[in-house]
Amino acid sequence: MKRLPLWSFPVATGALLLALWYGVKRALHIESFMLPAPHEVFAAAWQERRTLLASALLTGRGALLGFFSAVAVGFLISMIMAFSIVLKRSFYPFILILQMTPVIILAPIIILWLGPNTPSIVAITFMICFFPIVANTTMGLISTDRHLLELFVMCKATRLQEIRHLRVPAAMPYFLTGMKIAATLAPIGAIYGDYLAGSSQNGIGGIGFMTILYSSQLKTPALFATGLIACLLGFFFVVGVSFLNWLLLHKWHDSMVGKE
Amino acid sequence: MNSPPIVRLSGLGKRFGDGPFVLEGIDLEAVRNDFVSFIGPSGCGKSTLLRLIAGLTPHSAGEIAVDGRDPDSAREGVFLVFQEANLLPWRRVAANVELPLMLRGDSPAGRHRRVAEMLELVGLSGAEGKYPWQLSGGMKMRVSIARALSVAPRILLLDEPFGALDEMTRHRLNEDLLDIRGRDPFTAFFVTHSVAEAVFLSTRVVVLSTNPGRIADVIDVSFPYPRRAELRETPEFLQLLARTTHSLRSVLPAG
Repeated sequence: MKRLPLWSFPVATGALLLALWYGVKRALHIESFMLPAPHEVFAAAWQERRTLLASALLTGRGALLGFFSAVAVGFLISMIMAFSIVLKRSFYPFILILQMTPVIILAPIIILWLGPNTPSIVAITFMICFFPIVANTTMGLISTDRHLLELFVMCKATRLQEIRHLRVPAAMPYFLTGMKIAATLAPIGAIYGDYLAGSSQNGIGGIGFMTILYSSQLKTPALFATGLIACLLGFFFVVGVSFLNWLLLHKWHDSMVGKE
Repeated sequence: MNSPPIVRLSGLGKRFGDGPFVLEGIDLEAVRNDFVSFIGPSGCGKSTLLRLIAGLTPHSAGEIAVDGRDPDSAREGVFLVFQEANLLPWRRVAANVELPLMLRGDSPAGRHRRVAEMLELVGLSGAEGKYPWQLSGGMKMRVSIARALSVAPRILLLDEPFGALDEMTRHRLNEDLLDIRGRDPFTAFFVTHSVAEAVFLSTRVVVLSTNPGRIADVIDVSFPYPRRAELRETPEFLQLLARTTHSLRSVLPAG
């Protein structure tokens, strides 16, 4: 028997799920405002394409800003904590406390302080992305191989050289793992922020705002289409970070090499 | 031999924290271009002895002088070849060899020249652009040795560098190490589990006993350099091998 190509399996599963969707809708006589058929969702996506694209861009911008500020600040704080036991002891518990407080509760406070729209959306995204980056990067910076550190001692390396040429490159895989987790969270954070703090300009808001709008108008197919767009936005982030991961690691890291 | 000792250990002792002494009463002098091997049962403190000379760990008793100074300030000109090749996986071969030169601030042009020289010396010309994962165990060790030699150390400390390699590769690297040393002399301290390796390489083999590590025996090896592979088959070599093995057996703990 000839072997099927790998891509055929997810495609077959997808087709099966679509068939199931149609089947359930027809068998149980479900109205379209409760469960639209797949083609109705795509039609709504096409019909609302300008609105959806604009809102995806708006939310995407907030997610990107929040994500990158979390990456930058997270990296900086990890560096500080990795190189000063005193600062780590002082701050880590409070970073944990902040992380333990659900963003759902923090969000209204943030909006109270920063007002509606972009600043709050960015801040909420930041809050949700920050911790995985700090936790992973700090771990990476303090887990440098002991023998490699001794090599640098033998070379009479300065502290700065040790950080630049040893600790930071060795922490890269950890840092990227933190970024991967943050990348899946960033769109969620931005959409949630927009859901609470977003508003419309000429009837177009972010994805979170459009969700509220469509559901209040019972435009269920458009609501599903919004989910589709949000899903694409998430993919965009994950693919972006995966590419960065590949770019930085594919030549040397164990997770990448020797698979060709 | 009447040149002043390059390394002098007197009554040297080492303990970790409040623990028992792992090394005690070590008296040893090495002159320039000596090749001293340390051999002994596991846990006799061989590696610790190297780390003391490298200044990677402080001693607890006695005295240690490298070039008449304490090891921490004498580190210039001393380099350690680690048990594992210990290469930076994200750096290519050339960049790994270059690392000590870069860290001490040599000019890029000088670094480049030196790296090419070193790679030729260890027989790895052409492997500059490879990453460590693309190399065999023996090749990695060659890179590690090239890296250590790049700074032209006066004292080279080798901590069981060939322990993980198969016997044929080990023999080849032993011969090459002596060859390199013939061209670019250095004083060597070499830790190993292999009696044959110790006898083949050294001017002196130091047998250590365990609990605590003390010098049990010192065997002079007077074969002239250059030593060739055939030396291993001569009766004199085999005799010294037997004598060293016997000495080592007498310090092995029962069981």
